Amino acid sequence: MTAVTEPIHREIEAFLYREAELLDARQYHDWLALLSEDVQYELPQRVTRERSQGEGILDGTGHFLENQWSLRKRIERLATEYAWAEDPPSRTRHFVTNIRVSPGEQQDEFLVRSNVLVYRTRGDDPTYDILSAERYDVLRRVEGSLRLARRRVLLDHSIVLTRNLAIFL
Amino acid sequence: MTVTAQRVQGPEEYLAAAQEKFLQRAYLLAGLFSDPEIFRLEKERIYARAWHFVAHESEIPRPGDYVVRYVADDPLIIVRTESGEIRALYNMCRHRGMQVCRAEAGNAAFFRCPYHGWTYKNTGELIGVPFHREVYGTEGLQRGEWPLISVRLESYEGLLFVNLDPEAVPLREYLGEATFYLDFYLKKSTAGLEVRGAPDRWIFPANWKLGADNFIGDAYHTAFTHRSTVEVGILPVPDANFHKDGPQAIVGPWAGGYVPNLPYAALYPHLIGAMRANLTPAHHAIMDHDLWQSHSTLFPNLSFLNAPGIMPGTPPVAYFTIRVWRPLGPDRMEIWSWYLVERDAPEEWKEASYRAYVLQFGTSGTLEQDDTENWSSITKVAKGQLARTIPLNYRMGLDHLQPLTDWPGPGQAYPVDYTEYAQRHFWTTYFEWMCSNSR
Ligand code: FES
Ligand SMILES: [Fe+2]
Repeated sequence: MTAVTEPIHREIEAFLYREAELLDARQYHDWLALLSEDVQYELPQRVTRERSQGEGILDGTGHFLENQWSLRKRIERLATEYAWAEDPPSRTRHFVTNIRVSPGEQQDEFLVRSNVLVYRTRGDDPTYDILSAERYDVLRRVEGSLRLARRRVLLDHSIVLTRNLAIFL
Repeated sequence: MTVTAQRVQGPEEYLAAAQEKFLQRAYLLAGLFSDPEIFRLEKERIYARAWHFVAHESEIPRPGDYVVRYVADDPLIIVRTESGEIRALYNMCRHRGMQVCRAEAGNAAFFRCPYHGWTYKNTGELIGVPFHREVYGTEGLQRGEWPLISVRLESYEGLLFVNLDPEAVPLREYLGEATFYLDFYLKKSTAGLEVRGAPDRWIFPANWKLGADNFIGDAYHTAFTHRSTVEVGILPVPDANFHKDGPQAIVGPWAGGYVPNLPYAALYPHLIGAMRANLTPAHHAIMDHDLWQSHSTLFPNLSFLNAPGIMPGTPPVAYFTIRVWRPLGPDRMEIWSWYLVERDAPEEWKEASYRAYVLQFGTSGTLEQDDTENWSSITKVAKGQLARTIPLNYRMGLDHLQPLTDWPGPGQAYPVDYTEYAQRHFWTTYFEWMCSNSR
């Protein structure tokens, strides 16, 4: 286990802010470079259940259930001339807060939780979409730099309130 | 052609004019995608009368399992009772109208109303009323007369349908010969299908008919709308126009299309024996032409899709999704998208198939993303006063295509999927349900 020192905490915070900046700027290839080769990127389904029956997070299901290959394919697609869903592109803003870091199970890994609020608008539509979620990340130090090795996004919605997830959280 | 400004016209008049234009020339008035008055009539004339898919049996396998589903605005608890029978209960307490179930899914022997505590068995029977004798007198309330309202529920091959109209024809009669085509989706294995997870649900600003219209017969859009997905190599097809030369078939409330040169055996090596055993010689004849049944819609708003996908390290896979275009308003819909797979498919195949679905369909799907963009754009412009009068062209194939004479299945089939016979069928059916003169 690698202890979480104050400089490490700050480094992780900077990593998450940098990542959010790349997503909002749609610099997706640079974003992909921040992910480890064996990255798992997941956003499971969620249903409302009675309190006694848990949080209603459905394991093994996904609005996203991705690895590096499928994320790359999504990103390559967005770069084609025919990706109508994001051309003209949405304007997004990722607000990342409540960052909590603890040591990971492996040497050089950290468990990082953060809250994220994504604001999205499209075209001249006066309305906007807001997605709210908590993210459970595993960050790993690879050859000196941090990489996102796992992300599990738990959306605070059971119905997704945006026309598509052509964006990442 | 000239476009005249819109006169003041009620919805009945507009519908009648739209129907006439459509039947005579296959021109569709765009106001049908946005008019609030017409939407109100759709709820009355279509949603309160037609059969609607609400769940697959595998979503509620055990006694007490329930899911809450909707027909437009009407909420229903679809529940398996202790005897194993499945019921559709209107989710409204008979005392003051509170929802007796406020989760989306779960398991319950009873539904207890939070407001004053009336308690219903999962059969709908009212079994508990607090202070019963004191508040309703010694005669008491006739509890037997106040159950949750049961709505008609009938099933076909694991698909559960409800109908709000007690007078409607039975489901099997409504489906008629459409079952032949549904069997291609539902009877690929003797083990049956299972739903993975819950349906994906998302809301966006588009009219529900655009989903139904697209899935019933719009093979044409794949070549352009979905070109990006083909270009990056996640569809095992040579070109984005892969649908062009597959036939289109129409029968009763159903129509759909095929992909040519894509044998079932290539996509489902593990199922091909069961398909032969389960299906009829007419199905075999279609399969022997290497035709793969892909998209379709069952009127009004239930669509089906088989699509192919690529996952690294495995041969091409396929996935199956069922979707409901739930109307929330003239300009708002909620998509419900189920992923289903044969129970006895190999585990690795199931996993690859599900991942291919997530990559292409559902909220984040690359194919679905571009569809929703198109439909919300159409809905937005259809609100214009001039748009109400602008005819849209539904004439593809009308002047030069003849029906196939040797099609093995029921109904009519046309030689190519780049035609609008199926979409014209959807709208003809729509006008039959909507126009007072044809009811
Ligand atoms: S509203 Fe349900 S008990 Fe009164
Ligand atoms: Fe499409």
